[in-house]
Amino acid sequence: MIRKKAGPKHGRRRFLFRRKKYCKFCEAKSRWIDHKDMKTLQNYIPERSKILPRRISGTCAKHQRLLMQAVKRARMIALLPFASD
Amino acid sequence: MQTYETLFITVPDLTEDDEKSTVEVLSKIVTDGAGTFHANERLGRKRLGYPIRKFEEGVYTRFLYDSEKDVPQELERRIKLSDKILRSLTVRLEVEWADHAKKQAVIDAERRVEAAERAAAEAVERAAAEKAAALAAAAAGDAAAAPADTADAAAVADTPDAVDTVDTADAAASTASDDQAKEDGS
Repeated sequence: MIRKKAGPKHGRRRFLFRRKKYCKFCEAKSRWIDHKDMKTLQNYIPERSKILPRRISGTCAKHQRLLMQAVKRARMIALLPFASD
Repeated sequence: MQTYETLFITVPDLTEDDEKSTVEVLSKIVTDGAGTFHANERLGRKRLGYPIRKFEEGVYTRFLYDSEKDVPQELERRIKLSDKILRSLTVRLEVEWADHAKKQAVIDAERRVEAAERAAAEAVERAAAEKAAALAAAAAGDAAAAPADTADAAAVADTPDAVDTVDTADAAASTASDDQAKEDGS
């Protein structure tokens, strides 16, 4: 039996410094997200105009829900596209 | 009583009067239904996120009002019937958001008034500058083939407080004096 050699505990990760993600809405203490506020929403829709996942943006669960609601409303009123490429 | 916000998109190729009357009909529904307006603003022509009825652009209008629930219902019904409106969205704002939106509406209104005043003041200033330019041109005409910088000096002297409009006055004055010089030459 050949067992995989156990590498250093965290592998290469230890050498990659990664800035900690945080929820920008929590920082701003926002209690709602306006569906007309294109400046903010634009930051959370990459080019395919999908909603940026939490795992990438670092938004907290509560604000991700609000963000989702806002983006969907903005789509209904054609401020944002449903899909684009 | 609740606070509602209605956004709607009117067809972009309406004439100004048509658009105004369309908006007026809708705003009348709110006022007739004992609602109070906090904002009734034209957000302007915007590019749509996707084509609606083959229109690529639309004119957005925003209503922010307090009313009972029957007003937005009636409003939506009328919007659906109208063929001048492409799309609408009504949202009931939660208390905190509503308060903020109302405050913002007041600030925006003030700002708009200020901007209008400034535009009016600028118009007056521009008129004064034009007058000065005309005077300068007349002075240049009197002095026949006088060099352009004399006219410039006259323009500056006539409008000492309209510093940012002097440039246009200068340009006008110099072209005017040039014309004058040409006429005198021929």
